[in-house]
Amino acid sequence: MASQRTSIKQKLMAAIMGTSITVLVLTCAVFIIYEVVTFRRNIVRGLTTRAEIIAANSTAALAFENKEDATEVLSALRRDPRMVVACLYDKDGRLFAKYPPATMPETIPTFPEEQGYRFQRDYFVVFHPVIHEERRLGTLYLESDLSALSERYRLYAVLVLTVIATAILLSFALSAWLQRRIAGPISNLADTARGISEHKDYSLRAKKQSEDEIGQLTDSFNDMLGQIQLRDSSLRSNEARTRAILESALDCIITMDHEGKIVEFNPAAEKMFGYKRSEAVGAALADLVIPPSLREPHRAGLARFHATGQAPVLGKRLEMTGMRADGSEFPVELAITRIVQEGPPMFTGFIRDITQRKRAEQEIRQLNAELEQRVIERTAQLKAANKELEAFSYSVSHDLRAPLRAVDGFSQAVLEDFGPQLPEEGRRYLQTIRTGAQQMGELIDDLLAFSRLSRQPLNKQRVDVDELVRLAWEELKNGQPEGRRVEFRQDPLPPCEGDPSLLKQVWVNLLSNALKYTSKRNPATIEVGVVAAGTDGGGPSGPGPSARAAATYFVRDNGAGFDMQYAGKLFGVFQRLHRAEDYEGTGVGLAIVQRVVHRHGGRVWAEAAVDRGATFYFTLKERNKP
Amino acid sequence: MSETNAVEILLVEDNPNDVELALRALRKSNLTNRIHVARDGAEAIEFIFCEGPHATRKIENGPRVILLDLKLPKVDGLEVLKRIKSDPRTKTIPVVVLTSSKEQKDVVESYQLGTNSYIVKPVSFEQFVQAVQQLGLYWMLLNQPPKG
Repeated sequence: MASQRTSIKQKLMAAIMGTSITVLVLTCAVFIIYEVVTFRRNIVRGLTTRAEIIAANSTAALAFENKEDATEVLSALRRDPRMVVACLYDKDGRLFAKYPPATMPETIPTFPEEQGYRFQRDYFVVFHPVIHEERRLGTLYLESDLSALSERYRLYAVLVLTVIATAILLSFALSAWLQRRIAGPISNLADTARGISEHKDYSLRAKKQSEDEIGQLTDSFNDMLGQIQLRDSSLRSNEARTRAILESALDCIITMDHEGKIVEFNPAAEKMFGYKRSEAVGAALADLVIPPSLREPHRAGLARFHATGQAPVLGKRLEMTGMRADGSEFPVELAITRIVQEGPPMFTGFIRDITQRKRAEQEIRQLNAELEQRVIERTAQLKAANKELEAFSYSVSHDLRAPLRAVDGFSQAVLEDFGPQLPEEGRRYLQTIRTGAQQMGELIDDLLAFSRLSRQPLNKQRVDVDELVRLAWEELKNGQPEGRRVEFRQDPLPPCEGDPSLLKQVWVNLLSNALKYTSKRNPATIEVGVVAAGTDGGGPSGPGPSARAAATYFVRDNGAGFDMQYAGKLFGVFQRLHRAEDYEGTGVGLAIVQRVVHRHGGRVWAEAAVDRGATFYFTLKERNKP
Repeated sequence: MSETNAVEILLVEDNPNDVELALRALRKSNLTNRIHVARDGAEAIEFIFCEGPHATRKIENGPRVILLDLKLPKVDGLEVLKRIKSDPRTKTIPVVVLTSSKEQKDVVESYQLGTNSYIVKPVSFEQFVQAVQQLGLYWMLLNQPPKG
């Protein structure tokens, strides 16, 4: 555990120093062991060789039992300060000579051993036989001081310690340098990383100090930092945008997590619901803004979403009720969106207060209802008026004619019963009374026919105008007096849409008008046709017919015509442009024509000049075809 | 006019002028015999069904034809027509609606209720005389009512 916390610097230093010291210690140990072994072998070899030489030199002395010579030989060892004791034993093992001569006999082994050497505590001892001609003459004993060896050991120890001390110093210096070169950039990197994680400042960069792996690491680290900074800034600007939208949205925006807790509550929501954002966030949506009656369905919907993953309310425009902080309820329009993200889903609701709209809708509904009521009332009034009109017509039809019948009937009775007693003048007056009564009867009939025209429903269908005009002309022609010359020309007439019986009345009236006003012409000419499309004269009463692709029919005669100055009066009821004694009539015929044409959405007009004939034009509106 | 005598023509008409003119027209056609005039719908019903002042009259004694105006006080002509045509004892009596109304509605309704003819009273007296003469001849002379 402790080693995991030590810094790279320390680890590096420990590694370098540990390694170098271990290697040094091992090397020194091997060297020392080797040196000691070699040294001891050299000592053995040197002493053995010396023992052989002295043994060889001592043969004569031993052979002749000349102790002085033997001592002389041994004294040659003086030169070597390490030689401590040397002695010769004779063949029987008795001490024969010794070196130094003053040596105490106690320090010398009593009996020689067989050939051999051994290391004693501070000494090295050799027993070497003295042989001459394969006869053993005695034994040589040498004892060498091993203080040289100790000196060596001391020397080695000093050396090793010096080396190790130097090595530690060197490796410390090395590791310090390495640490600066290797661990420095790493800890710099580590410091940068710590600084970033502590201050969230992604603009910091690690300083690159070399081109090695650490340099690459630093580059990669800085690259990563760059990318993080980029993402961080785009995230921030994104968030700023989102925040700006949230803050400035007119609609209230509330986000709720999968448990139904509010995680976002924008200023519009604060204003609309009367809660502060700090109060709302973390609270359960259902308890805050949903009226108690709707909380259960809300929870059920959420539960269903958790169970099945289905949320039918998503992506729709809903209308429901919201609740303010003061408990008051108001109508809202709501759209819920699911936020797709990692982890549990969230839902964002966009809510709009539609109180105004609802009120407006209510007002419109009310207005509509009032309007409808008014239409119903007006219709009822119209119906009543129509009924009154009908009753009026009925009454006119009955009651106005009854007195006329009396006038006419009793005038006739007077003429029949008392005619002979009356002067001529009186009979003429009575006749005039009867004519007046009968004319008034006709007027009443025409007036009733005219009023019936407005009440009668239109029975529109395809009408063969060619055939219709032919039939009308046949009927009228038969009613003309014998001997009258009339030239009638009928161009091919296109069919139209309309009520056949009403249209027949139009044609009959126009044609009978033409016949009437040409009664003083010989021959009379009457022409029926259609104005070619686009060449329609337009007529005096305004621009050309507004009806689309409708034929303009005309009836032209060479009759009395009229002054265009009075054209405006032409189609009025009871309007006449000629005196009754010139041309009889009630002045209802053209009024009927205009009424029928207008009821078909068409237009009628005339062109004429006094004594130069008249042309009556009319169009019917084509039924609008898709 | 005796209650016991069979009445041949019942004229239902409220307007005295029209009554007089009608009688004059009938007289011109020599159809003055046994004409009874009812001045409103209620009177006509009492006469036809022998009620009230006419309780002593026998229902099987006619009339042979009824000339009926539509616009009548108390009970209107169409109602009278309906009563006549829905009673098995009277429904075989020919009824001629004689009115000044040219209204399509009146014509259609009258025929639906079972009138035998519909005549519009013209303003001109000559035409009126002609119409009355024609219907009088037709119903009185040519048309034989079923026996019983």
